[in-house]
Amino acid sequence: MQSYWFGDVEGTSYQPFDGSVEELVERIKNLRVDIEEFVPLEWEIARQCGVAATREEYLDKVKAVCVFMARQNVASYYQRRDVKLIHMVRMLDGIDEATNRLTEDAIEWYRTQDPSFSMKYRKIPHRQVTDMMTSGDESFREVKEEIERIANIRAILMKEVARTANEIIPNTSALLGGLVAARLLARCGGLRELSSLPGSSIQVMGASTALFSHLKNGTPSPKHGIIFQNYRVHNAPRQVRGKVARILSSKVAIAARLDYYRGKQCPEFVREAIESVSRARYRT
Amino acid sequence: MIWINDTLVSQGDAGVYGERVINGYRVWDPYRSKLAALYALGAGPDLIKSMRVLYLGAAHGTTVSHVADYTDVVYAVEFAPRPIQDLLEVSARRRNVIPIMADASRPQTYAPLIEYVDLIYQDIAQPDQVEIARRNWLFLKDGGIAVLILKTRCVDVKKSPKEVLATATIECEDCGIRVLKSTWLSPYHQDHVALLCTKT
Repeated sequence: MQSYWFGDVEGTSYQPFDGSVEELVERIKNLRVDIEEFVPLEWEIARQCGVAATREEYLDKVKAVCVFMARQNVASYYQRRDVKLIHMVRMLDGIDEATNRLTEDAIEWYRTQDPSFSMKYRKIPHRQVTDMMTSGDESFREVKEEIERIANIRAILMKEVARTANEIIPNTSALLGGLVAARLLARCGGLRELSSLPGSSIQVMGASTALFSHLKNGTPSPKHGIIFQNYRVHNAPRQVRGKVARILSSKVAIAARLDYYRGKQCPEFVREAIESVSRARYRT
Repeated sequence: MIWINDTLVSQGDAGVYGERVINGYRVWDPYRSKLAALYALGAGPDLIKSMRVLYLGAAHGTTVSHVADYTDVVYAVEFAPRPIQDLLEVSARRRNVIPIMADASRPQTYAPLIEYVDLIYQDIAQPDQVEIARRNWLFLKDGGIAVLILKTRCVDVKKSPKEVLATATIECEDCGIRVLKSTWLSPYHQDHVALLCTKT
């Protein structure tokens, strides 16, 4: 027996499926097609089956089903929580890029009003540099306030990202911190994708330039990518940093699988994983 | 194929992606479309009105819209949710474009929806392109044509594009895909090669 979108066909006997587009789609989703045995459709069979009288009508009908399925799939994709998180992370990175550029330009502009202005020996973080710009004409003040406003939004968004990450990828977030975990997720495009990656891919994710230069030209391989942003990696002594990154990323690979398949925090796993990462610093 | 002063065009409802229009014909730009590049290099299979096409890797539906101008029906398979939105828009204005949201490497998920086709066009940036073609081979009629676009940099960065082509050709022959001709798409696209294949 062959199953097609409109019904089952066995030899010369046809069993058209009677139902609305929704019911047809439900049926198609549940079809288990054995591709080795499958015989593709000749549309004339559909005509003999009474599905459609003409080819135009046949195509219109099959198209209605396909469009309905595609819309359904797209809708369920955008309802996924990891997808929302990914876009929040992208926005966060976009804001960072924008504020950095705008701040740089603002500093140059400010120099034309206060030529003695310098960043040296100032004890404030670089991102608060706009606080020091006290003079300036109206348009400059407007720009400055806008930069500060965007910086505030960034702070709010960052908390939101970390909170959401803790919620939907609790184990990965417990190992890496919400923000870095969310960045990893955003880079590979989804929780399913992250959970199917080996630890070694996670270790070098975000270091693609170095990785491809290593593969092509034999330069030294990268030790860490996004994972470097975790304090366990960047605070580790230089000699063991690669090792810490390797062990951490293999634990992250397990954590991502726990997040995908169980979807809740496993405190015991997290404790043991953190212990073994801490041990990596001291073992020689 | 329709040419106006050495410019490849197709005949249909214009304004799909802001393409240029000459005398009511839509310009099909070889720098944007790999299939158009293949025609510009004189190596494309002629598209005719009776053709049924299985298009794997339909993306935003820009090349699909041109193929649909020439042929009977295009079954456009695409997996990524974002380009699908555009593809749905294109299919809403073109009766003979049938959008299918599915993974081209899992034909069992969309096999019941499509029919035997005269042409398979595959433009997917994946390392296992030949394997994907092999899995979709059952949909191709005997004597049908398949065009595989290999993005060699996507198959293996360690190998040179020429080596990738050689390996892919051998893989094709091994699984019964007869390669008639291979065409590098330069100067229009870098490191892309088109394999013209047939089913015997």
